Amino acid sequence: MRERSVQSTQSMRMPLTGAVSSTAEQDDLQLVTASKGGDQDAFAQLVQRYQRRVFNLVYRMLQQYEEANETTQETFLAAWQGLPAFRGDARFATWLYRIAYNCSLKQLEQRKRDKALQVALEAEQDNTKLTDTEMDVRDRQALVREHLSHLPAKYRIVLILRHLQDMTYEEMAEILTMPIGTIKTHLFRARNLLKERLQALDRESNMGTRGQ
Amino acid sequence: MHCREAAQKLQLYLDNRLTIEQARILEAHVANCATCLEELVLLEEVTQNLHTIKVIAEPDDLNEQIMRRVAMTAQRTNSPRFSLLRPSLAELLVVVLLATIATLGPILQQPSLRALLPFANGHDSLSLAVMSLLHMLTTAGSNTLILALWVIGTVLGICITLVVAGNEMRSLWFKAVMERLPVR
Repeated sequence: MRERSVQSTQSMRMPLTGAVSSTAEQDDLQLVTASKGGDQDAFAQLVQRYQRRVFNLVYRMLQQYEEANETTQETFLAAWQGLPAFRGDARFATWLYRIAYNCSLKQLEQRKRDKALQVALEAEQDNTKLTDTEMDVRDRQALVREHLSHLPAKYRIVLILRHLQDMTYEEMAEILTMPIGTIKTHLFRARNLLKERLQALDRESNMGTRGQ
Repeated sequence: MHCREAAQKLQLYLDNRLTIEQARILEAHVANCATCLEELVLLEEVTQNLHTIKVIAEPDDLNEQIMRRVAMTAQRTNSPRFSLLRPSLAELLVVVLLATIATLGPILQQPSLRALLPFANGHDSLSLAVMSLLHMLTTAGSNTLILALWVIGTVLGICITLVVAGNEMRSLWFKAVMERLPVR
């Protein structure tokens, strides 16, 4: 398996507020302006700055390392091509995340069309499920993590943005171009679905205890 | 506070979206309500478990691979020379509407063709109003009407195909068109 987790989660949190944020945005702006003029070195710095966050967002949406690699590349390539049209109405990070989300959705649609790949992925997921079950059936953390990958894309993305990228409702609304009310609804439903899984697990374990 | 109201606010509480006063009222309710307490504990557990999801390291050569592809790809030019050729969506819809009117005009002026249409073929006030409006619009037209007729024919052909193609194909087609449409 090629996936490697990294120790610190700090690098995933976007510096969004306060002085740090404005400095980062200032740097982004300079790099974006240079990249718009065709400066590939400046763009390489932007890639370096955002590649981990974009890769993780895409990876959690697709749950497949190689696909996430390809889709992250597509995201940055689309950003590079579209930079001249980027007017700076939104922050660069917001714009980039929107591209990443759209590329992930496109990939998911592609996957649906490509039935052979879908069958292979399902088989892979089944194997993973089996291994997880063998390792520890009562691992509640693993249950939540596993169930996250089975949620519909619209619910998965809000959980990823909120809990992995620490974004506010307002930032999520900007990225997903949805009203804040819709963001709240999706987030609440997504967490309730995960909560119901835990409740079901509790019920099952209670029944098991009583049965013994 | 009722349980129903509390249930709606629990997630906002976890996301720090309640005012201090609202949070205080909710906490007082949860302290005395076993159901809401259980709900809160489970939601907290979900939130904490989501935070345990590890950050995955991207491939070591990701930056290199991206920059290799970037070096081979030109940026899309956003030249002002062509900006006049990029209408907004509203402008595009107006053009389509005018072309439709211009095309229907000559058709409606032919009694034999008009009889085939499900509308504007009678002598009631609505049909007469439509006819007079179209007459007014088309007499102001020119030879481009012929061209518009071809355009509308094509559009009608696409519409018929889409109706036959089904819902899934329609949404795919619409997305693909919106991605490629040169609108602002």
